[in-house]
Amino acid sequence: MSDHVYAYGVLEQQDLSLTVDGVEGATELYTVDYKGLSVAVTDIETTDVERSDENVQAHDDVLQTVLTHEDGRTIVPMSFGMAFKNARTLKGVLRGARRAFRKALNDIDGTVELGVKLVSTGDGDPPDLSEVRDRLSSVAINETDDDLFSDRLLLNRSYLVAREDQAAFGAVIDDIEAEHEESVLVKYTGPFAPYNFVDIQIGAEGR
Amino acid sequence: MFIVDDLLVRPFVSLIGILQAMAINELFDRSELHDQLKENQLLYELGERSKDEYETHKAEIEAELELAEEVQSRLSGRVEVKG
Repeated sequence: MSDHVYAYGVLEQQDLSLTVDGVEGATELYTVDYKGLSVAVTDIETTDVERSDENVQAHDDVLQTVLTHEDGRTIVPMSFGMAFKNARTLKGVLRGARRAFRKALNDIDGTVELGVKLVSTGDGDPPDLSEVRDRLSSVAINETDDDLFSDRLLLNRSYLVAREDQAAFGAVIDDIEAEHEESVLVKYTGPFAPYNFVDIQIGAEGR
Repeated sequence: MFIVDDLLVRPFVSLIGILQAMAINELFDRSELHDQLKENQLLYELGERSKDEYETHKAEIEAELELAEEVQSRLSGRVEVKG
Protein backbone atom coordinates (compact mmCIF):
# COMPACT_ATOMS: atom_id res chain seq x y z
CA MET A 1 0.00 0.00 0.00
CA SER A 2 1.57 3.29 -1.12
CA ASP A 3 1.06 6.80 0.25
CA HIS A 4 0.55 8.24 -3.23
CA VAL A 5 -2.41 10.53 -3.79
CA TYR A 6 -4.15 11.53 -7.00
CA ALA A 7 -5.45 15.13 -7.07
CA TYR A 8 -8.60 16.21 -8.93
CA GLY A 9 -9.01 19.82 -7.93
CA VAL A 10 -8.83 22.52 -5.29
CA LEU A 11 -11.71 23.84 -3.14
CA GLU A 12 -12.22 26.21 -0.26
CA GLN A 13 -11.15 24.28 2.83
CA GLN A 14 -13.87 21.84 3.85
CA ASP A 15 -14.40 18.28 5.00
CA LEU A 16 -15.51 16.28 2.01
CA SER A 17 -15.79 12.52 1.89
CA LEU A 18 -17.48 10.88 -1.08
CA THR A 19 -17.77 7.48 -2.71
CA VAL A 20 -16.68 7.88 -6.34
CA ASP A 21 -15.58 5.93 -9.41
CA GLY A 22 -12.11 7.42 -9.44
CA VAL A 23 -8.88 7.14 -11.40
CA GLU A 24 -7.33 3.64 -11.33
CA GLY A 25 -10.48 2.28 -9.70
CA ALA A 26 -10.24 4.36 -6.50
CA THR A 27 -13.53 4.68 -4.63
CA GLU A 28 -12.95 6.91 -1.60
CA LEU A 29 -12.49 10.61 -2.14
CA TYR A 30 -11.25 12.76 0.73
CA THR A 31 -9.41 16.06 1.13
CA VAL A 32 -5.86 17.13 1.89
CA ASP A 33 -5.97 20.55 3.54
CA TYR A 34 -3.52 23.43 3.58
CA LYS A 35 -4.17 26.93 4.93
CA GLY A 36 -7.74 27.50 3.82
CA LEU A 37 -7.58 25.24 0.75
CA SER A 38 -8.60 21.61 0.29
CA VAL A 39 -7.53 19.30 -2.49
CA ALA A 40 -9.94 16.52 -3.47
CA VAL A 41 -7.87 13.33 -3.73
CA THR A 42 -8.07 9.57 -3.91
CA ASP A 43 -5.34 7.09 -3.06
CA ILE A 44 -3.36 5.62 -5.95
CA GLU A 45 -0.60 3.03 -6.33
CA THR A 46 1.52 4.90 -8.86
CA THR A 47 2.63 8.43 -9.69
CA ASP A 48 2.82 7.53 -13.40
CA VAL A 49 -0.88 7.40 -14.26
CA GLU A 50 -1.87 5.73 -17.52
CA ARG A 51 -3.74 8.14 -19.79
CA SER A 52 -6.42 5.61 -20.74
CA ASP A 53 -9.94 6.58 -21.83
CA GLU A 54 -11.27 5.06 -18.59
CA ASN A 55 -8.92 7.07 -16.37
CA VAL A 56 -9.54 10.34 -18.20
CA GLN A 57 -13.29 9.77 -17.97
CA ALA A 58 -12.98 8.90 -14.27
CA HIS A 59 -11.05 12.14 -13.64
CA ASP A 60 -13.82 14.17 -15.31
CA ASP A 61 -16.60 12.22 -13.58
CA VAL A 62 -15.12 12.80 -10.13
CA LEU A 63 -14.81 16.53 -10.79
CA GLN A 64 -18.43 16.58 -11.94
CA THR A 65 -19.50 14.70 -8.80
CA VAL A 66 -17.77 17.25 -6.57
CA LEU A 67 -19.12 20.13 -8.65
CA THR A 68 -22.72 18.99 -8.29
CA HIS A 69 -22.60 17.44 -4.79
CA GLU A 70 -25.38 18.76 -2.52
CA ASP A 71 -25.89 22.42 -3.52
CA GLY A 72 -22.80 22.37 -5.66
CA ARG A 73 -19.38 23.78 -4.90
CA THR A 74 -16.63 25.63 -6.73
CA ILE A 75 -13.62 23.54 -7.66
CA VAL A 76 -10.49 24.58 -9.53
CA PRO A 77 -9.80 21.52 -11.67
CA MET A 78 -6.36 20.02 -12.00
CA SER A 79 -5.35 18.58 -15.32
CA PHE A 80 -5.30 14.82 -15.72
CA GLY A 81 -2.41 12.87 -14.25
CA MET A 82 -1.59 14.87 -11.11
CA ALA A 83 -0.40 12.10 -8.81
CA PHE A 84 1.84 12.97 -5.88
CA LYS A 85 4.24 10.90 -3.81
CA ASN A 86 2.28 11.61 -0.65
CA ALA A 87 0.06 14.20 1.05
CA ARG A 88 3.10 16.08 2.31
CA THR A 89 4.43 16.55 -1.24
CA LEU A 90 1.02 17.78 -2.31
CA LYS A 91 0.97 20.29 0.56
CA GLY A 92 4.37 21.51 -0.64
CA VAL A 93 2.85 22.20 -4.05
CA LEU A 94 -0.10 23.99 -2.45
CA ARG A 95 2.30 26.13 -0.49
CA GLY A 96 3.99 27.26 -3.72
CA ALA A 97 0.78 27.80 -5.68
CA ARG A 98 -1.53 29.01 -2.90
CA ARG A 99 -1.97 32.50 -4.30
CA ALA A 100 -2.72 31.20 -7.78
CA PHE A 101 -5.30 28.74 -6.47
CA ARG A 102 -6.87 31.39 -4.25
CA LYS A 103 -7.16 33.79 -7.21
CA ALA A 104 -8.60 31.06 -9.44
CA LEU A 105 -11.17 30.14 -6.76
CA ASN A 106 -12.25 33.78 -6.55
CA ASP A 107 -12.39 34.12 -10.35
CA ILE A 108 -14.67 31.11 -10.86
CA ASP A 109 -16.67 31.29 -7.63
CA GLY A 110 -20.28 30.21 -8.22
CA THR A 111 -19.77 29.31 -11.87
CA VAL A 112 -19.77 26.23 -14.08
CA GLU A 113 -18.40 25.52 -17.53
CA LEU A 114 -20.79 24.52 -20.31
CA GLY A 115 -19.81 23.24 -23.75
CA VAL A 116 -21.66 24.01 -26.99
CA LYS A 117 -21.00 22.52 -30.39
CA LEU A 118 -23.05 23.32 -33.48
CA VAL A 119 -22.51 20.68 -36.13
CA SER A 120 -23.68 21.17 -39.71
CA THR A 121 -26.11 18.57 -41.03
CA GLY A 122 -25.41 19.70 -44.59
CA ASP A 123 -29.13 20.49 -45.08
CA GLY A 124 -31.08 23.73 -44.88
CA ASP A 125 -29.80 27.23 -44.41
CA PRO A 126 -26.97 27.61 -41.89
CA PRO A 127 -27.72 29.88 -38.92
CA ASP A 128 -26.33 33.39 -38.59
CA LEU A 129 -23.38 32.45 -36.39
CA SER A 130 -22.67 35.93 -35.15
CA GLU A 131 -26.27 36.20 -33.91
CA VAL A 132 -26.02 32.75 -32.27
CA ARG A 133 -22.77 33.73 -30.55
CA ASP A 134 -24.31 36.98 -29.27
CA ARG A 135 -27.29 35.14 -27.80
CA LEU A 136 -25.07 32.67 -25.96
CA SER A 137 -22.66 35.37 -24.80
CA SER A 138 -25.53 37.37 -23.31
CA VAL A 139 -26.05 34.71 -20.61
CA ALA A 140 -22.39 33.89 -20.04
CA ILE A 141 -19.63 35.52 -18.02
CA ASN A 142 -16.82 34.44 -20.31
CA GLU A 143 -16.18 32.18 -23.28
CA THR A 144 -13.36 30.55 -25.19
CA ASP A 145 -12.52 30.95 -28.85
CA ASP A 146 -13.84 28.41 -31.31
CA ASP A 147 -11.94 25.14 -31.70
CA LEU A 148 -13.12 24.09 -35.16
CA PHE A 149 -11.34 20.76 -35.43
CA SER A 150 -13.76 19.39 -38.02
CA ASP A 151 -15.19 20.84 -41.25
CA ARG A 152 -18.61 19.93 -39.89
CA LEU A 153 -18.26 22.23 -36.88
CA LEU A 154 -19.83 25.67 -37.12
CA LEU A 155 -19.26 26.62 -33.50
CA ASN A 156 -17.37 24.95 -30.67
CA ARG A 157 -16.99 26.99 -27.51
CA SER A 158 -16.86 26.62 -23.77
CA TYR A 159 -18.84 29.11 -21.69
CA LEU A 160 -18.35 30.19 -18.11
CA VAL A 161 -21.85 30.60 -16.68
CA ALA A 162 -23.11 31.54 -13.21
CA ARG A 163 -24.87 28.59 -11.57
CA GLU A 164 -28.08 30.60 -11.31
CA ASP A 165 -27.98 31.35 -15.07
CA GLN A 166 -27.56 27.74 -16.13
CA ALA A 167 -31.28 27.28 -16.81
CA ALA A 168 -31.39 30.50 -18.86
CA PHE A 169 -28.40 29.32 -20.87
CA GLY A 170 -30.14 25.97 -21.46
CA ALA A 171 -33.25 27.81 -22.66
CA VAL A 172 -31.19 29.73 -25.25
CA ILE A 173 -29.73 26.43 -26.44
CA ASP A 174 -33.25 24.95 -26.74
CA ASP A 175 -34.37 27.94 -28.82
CA ILE A 176 -31.36 27.72 -31.15
CA GLU A 177 -31.91 23.99 -31.58
CA ALA A 178 -35.59 24.45 -32.38
CA GLU A 179 -34.97 27.29 -34.84
CA HIS A 180 -32.24 25.48 -36.78
CA GLU A 181 -33.11 21.81 -36.39
CA GLU A 182 -32.78 21.15 -40.12
CA SER A 183 -29.34 22.66 -40.57
CA VAL A 184 -27.51 21.97 -37.28
CA LEU A 185 -27.09 19.34 -34.61
CA VAL A 186 -26.52 20.88 -31.20
CA LYS A 187 -24.28 19.16 -28.70
CA TYR A 188 -24.64 20.76 -25.28
CA THR A 189 -22.49 19.38 -22.46
CA GLY A 190 -21.79 20.09 -18.82
CA PRO A 191 -21.76 21.33 -16.23
CA PHE A 192 -18.01 20.88 -15.92
CA ALA A 193 -15.45 22.29 -13.55
CA PRO A 194 -14.13 25.38 -15.40
CA TYR A 195 -11.05 23.79 -17.01
CA ASN A 196 -10.88 26.38 -19.75
CA PHE A 197 -11.03 29.38 -17.45
CA VAL A 198 -8.20 28.65 -15.05
CA ASP A 199 -4.56 28.31 -15.98
CA ILE A 200 -2.32 27.00 -13.23
CA GLN A 201 0.77 25.08 -14.27
CA ILE A 202 2.27 22.64 -11.82
CA GLY A 203 5.64 21.33 -12.91
CA ALA A 204 6.68 17.70 -12.58
CA GLU A 205 9.41 18.75 -10.17
CA GLY A 206 6.73 19.64 -7.68
CA ARG A 207 5.49 16.07 -7.55
CA MET B 1 38.28 24.42 -56.85
CA PHE B 2 36.84 22.12 -54.25
CA ILE B 3 36.27 24.98 -51.80
CA VAL B 4 34.53 27.12 -54.43
CA ASP B 5 32.30 24.18 -55.49
CA ASP B 6 31.43 23.47 -51.88
CA LEU B 7 30.46 27.10 -51.22
CA LEU B 8 28.28 27.17 -54.33
CA VAL B 9 26.52 23.89 -53.59
CA ARG B 10 26.04 24.24 -49.83
CA PRO B 11 23.03 26.65 -49.96
CA PHE B 12 21.19 24.23 -52.23
CA VAL B 13 21.95 21.24 -50.00
CA SER B 14 20.75 23.23 -47.00
CA LEU B 15 17.57 24.27 -48.82
CA ILE B 16 16.85 20.67 -49.82
CA GLY B 17 17.25 19.61 -46.20
CA ILE B 18 14.79 22.26 -45.05
CA LEU B 19 12.29 21.37 -47.78
CA GLN B 20 12.57 17.72 -46.86
CA ALA B 21 11.94 18.49 -43.19
CA MET B 22 8.94 20.66 -44.09
CA ALA B 23 7.48 17.89 -46.23
CA ILE B 24 7.93 15.37 -43.42
CA ASN B 25 6.42 17.77 -40.90
CA GLU B 26 3.38 18.15 -43.13
CA LEU B 27 3.11 14.43 -43.77
CA PHE B 28 3.27 13.68 -40.05
CA ASP B 29 1.26 16.64 -38.77
CA ARG B 30 0.38 15.75 -35.18
CA SER B 31 -2.13 18.56 -34.70
CA GLU B 32 -4.06 17.37 -37.76
CA LEU B 33 -4.08 13.84 -36.30
CA HIS B 34 -5.30 15.15 -32.94
CA ASP B 35 -8.09 16.94 -34.79
CA GLN B 36 -9.00 13.68 -36.53
CA LEU B 37 -9.19 11.96 -33.13
CA LYS B 38 -11.56 14.64 -31.86
CA GLU B 39 -13.68 14.47 -35.01
CA ASN B 40 -13.92 10.70 -34.70
CA GLN B 41 -15.14 11.09 -31.10
CA LEU B 42 -17.65 13.76 -32.15
CA LEU B 43 -19.12 11.66 -34.97
CA TYR B 44 -19.42 8.70 -32.61
CA GLU B 45 -21.17 10.80 -29.96
CA LEU B 46 -23.57 12.14 -32.60
CA GLY B 47 -24.41 8.57 -33.61
CA GLU B 48 -22.96 8.97 -37.10
CA ARG B 49 -20.29 6.34 -36.44
CA SER B 50 -20.90 2.95 -34.85
CA LYS B 51 -18.81 1.79 -31.91
CA ASP B 52 -16.87 -0.55 -34.24
CA GLU B 53 -16.18 2.22 -36.77
CA TYR B 54 -15.18 4.57 -33.98
CA GLU B 55 -12.74 2.09 -32.47
CA THR B 56 -11.24 1.14 -35.86
CA HIS B 57 -10.70 4.81 -36.80
CA LYS B 58 -9.30 5.57 -33.36
CA ALA B 59 -6.78 2.73 -33.54
CA GLU B 60 -5.69 3.82 -37.06
CA ILE B 61 -5.22 7.46 -36.05
CA GLU B 62 -3.39 6.53 -32.85
CA ALA B 63 -1.01 4.33 -34.85
CA GLU B 64 -0.34 7.24 -37.23
CA LEU B 65 0.17 9.54 -34.27
CA GLU B 66 2.67 7.17 -32.72
CA LEU B 67 4.57 7.00 -36.01
CA ALA B 68 4.44 10.79 -36.37
CA GLU B 69 5.83 11.26 -32.88
CA GLU B 70 8.64 8.84 -33.58
CA VAL B 71 9.53 10.52 -36.88
CA GLN B 72 9.33 14.01 -35.35
CA SER B 73 11.47 12.98 -32.42
CA ARG B 74 14.13 11.53 -34.75
CA LEU B 75 14.00 14.64 -36.88
CA SER B 76 14.21 17.03 -33.97
CA GLY B 77 17.83 16.11 -33.43
CA ARG B 78 18.73 17.12 -36.99
CA VAL B 79 16.63 19.86 -38.52
CA GLU B 80 14.15 22.14 -36.85
CA VAL B 81 11.61 23.96 -38.96
CA LYS B 82 9.33 26.44 -37.29
CA GLY B 83 6.17 27.27 -39.20
